[in-house]
Amino acid sequence: MQKKLLLCTLLSTYLLQATELEQRVEKLEKALQAQKKSKLQEALNGGNSFNQKSFIPDISLILDGSAVSRNISNDDYEGYGIDGFLEEADEIPFHKNRGFNFNYAELGMHSEVGPYFTSDAIFHLHPEGFEIEEAYLTTKKLPANLDMKMGKFRSGFGRINAIHQHAQHFSEQPLVYEAMLGVEGLNDAGVALHWVAPTDTYFMAGVEAMQGTNELSFGKSSENNLYVGYLKSGFDLDDSTSVLTGASVATGKTEENQDSKLYGGELTLKHTIDSYSNLTWQSEYLYRDRDDEKQGGYYTQLLYKKDSNWEFGTRYEALNKNAKNQPDDLKKYSAIVSYSPFEFSKIRLQATKDKSKSFGGVRETENQVLLEFLVETGAHGAHAF
Amino acid sequence: MKKILTLTTVLTTAMFAQLNVATTYNYLGEVTKRVGGDLVKVDVLASPKLDPHFITPKPSLISKLRREDLLIINGAQLEIGWIPPLLRSANNSKIQNGGSGFLDVSGAVTLIDIPVNVSRSMGDVHPDGNPHFALNIDNIIPIAELISMKLSQLDPSNQATYNKNFEQFKTKMEELSSKLKKEYASCEGKKVVQYHELFNYAMDFYGIQKVGNIEPLPGISPSSKHTLELINTMNEQKIKTILQDVYHEKKTANFIASKTGAEVKVVPHDVGAVDGTDTLEDFYTTIGKELCQ
Repeated sequence: MQKKLLLCTLLSTYLLQATELEQRVEKLEKALQAQKKSKLQEALNGGNSFNQKSFIPDISLILDGSAVSRNISNDDYEGYGIDGFLEEADEIPFHKNRGFNFNYAELGMHSEVGPYFTSDAIFHLHPEGFEIEEAYLTTKKLPANLDMKMGKFRSGFGRINAIHQHAQHFSEQPLVYEAMLGVEGLNDAGVALHWVAPTDTYFMAGVEAMQGTNELSFGKSSENNLYVGYLKSGFDLDDSTSVLTGASVATGKTEENQDSKLYGGELTLKHTIDSYSNLTWQSEYLYRDRDDEKQGGYYTQLLYKKDSNWEFGTRYEALNKNAKNQPDDLKKYSAIVSYSPFEFSKIRLQATKDKSKSFGGVRETENQVLLEFLVETGAHGAHAF
Repeated sequence: MKKILTLTTVLTTAMFAQLNVATTYNYLGEVTKRVGGDLVKVDVLASPKLDPHFITPKPSLISKLRREDLLIINGAQLEIGWIPPLLRSANNSKIQNGGSGFLDVSGAVTLIDIPVNVSRSMGDVHPDGNPHFALNIDNIIPIAELISMKLSQLDPSNQATYNKNFEQFKTKMEELSSKLKKEYASCEGKKVVQYHELFNYAMDFYGIQKVGNIEPLPGISPSSKHTLELINTMNEQKIKTILQDVYHEKKTANFIASKTGAEVKVVPHDVGAVDGTDTLEDFYTTIGKELCQ
């Protein structure tokens, strides 16, 4: 009797559980049906057939402006020269006027082009016009640690030439670059091939063939005339100190069809203090043999990044070898303090004493204090070492 | 005879050729060693003493990436500030994003703290969710499984070994997970503050409540206003624990501690970040100890 009762209770529990399960299954089925229905309803009303949102390139916008105070009037400053190097600057893209300047808005786009290439384009929008700063393809699948770049791009010559203005630590391009290549540097249409050597120590070789439209060093316009080569190597001295060094050469023809050769040597030492703080010493020497005129100059700079907000720096520059009967004591001193309230924004105060420039044919020391602001918005890729 | 000998030597060397694997962080290196054993040679790129978001892309790292067969990254945008330029410079087509030798382990776990709206006005937010998932021991098991699958894919002849190693690893981690959960069960409901949204996954594991951060917003340095507010909240809610990582400044945490009577606990964020955490077992045990004791 007791056994029967137990059996009955068990049976009824099972039955109850079974109904409960049935109900849950029914509920799930209903939910699935509803899902299907709403999916059909969506399809009925049409929608995203040609939506390409996921293929939008990474887009970034950089804004750069400055407030300038200097002892040279705007009229005199326009068309300044550097004796023996630059007769008259025909374009001053950054910090041109006393008072306020909006220097540029830089629009950058980076995208994958199928499995074999990536594409990059950087546009500079100045108050005076629109400029294609860079636009190139890079290969992704070349074997043997090779890659190739095609289009218009900043040459890998030297340490600083390929680095955009916004990523540099001082507000102005180094004097020796300005004197030999212009403020815009070596930037041309062409192709480049890079090879990373199969060695334990980093060793990279690059060659470039370019159109050669640089007015100061390589400007022969009737044909492509510029060939660039460089070797770079880097290693760690200890866990927190790294070295990057390199040698570059560029050879081509000037506007007057004269031989022109440019040599560069570079050395960067970076000591990491902690995640947010480091000390960087960077120097470069450039030597030019153009139309049998031999000229040379260098800069050396020390930067101390104190934390994620503050950076301090100082730079000494000289053009110490000049053409016959031209001054060889052209010097420039700069110091910066920069404050980043956040990773993607920067306010930089720079003071310079520039003894290299001539205004209306007369050499005069230029004293300048400059406050620059820089912001990066959107999807901007990380910077290299 | 000599020829045969040479041939055998060549063949055996080829058979025992190791896979060259780079991992961005130390914990990934440890998991890969456990799953790959002698069959892999592992290079770890970032020092566990440094902020994982900000690693200097040194030239020496390029020469490492140049020769690797496989690159394993944490993902969820933790490496976005330093790996892309290195990958670009290394010219190694195998390990490019989308190549057979590229593995992002964030796909193996369920991310938390996924922002509904993303804007940089909220600081350095990670749009895909919180990337510090390795701090929950339960997440290391699917990560190890994914790594063993990838190693098997690249080196199918040793699949059985990778599987066996993974199963052993899984058993050990499951044991440790339940042991830690039991040992620190009393820790559930405890309230803490931390420097950065770094330990959320570990807190989820132990059921600890996060009350606030020393950073006003991710990636923004502490401000006095925010610090004072935090001190008030801590005093009101009687919070006695501040979780600090090894790489941020400790001044603010110590100041808050002096005003609230709280204790500053330095918690490892990666294997080897603090002394005595050189194995995954020690790493997770130390996290439990610092969070709960």
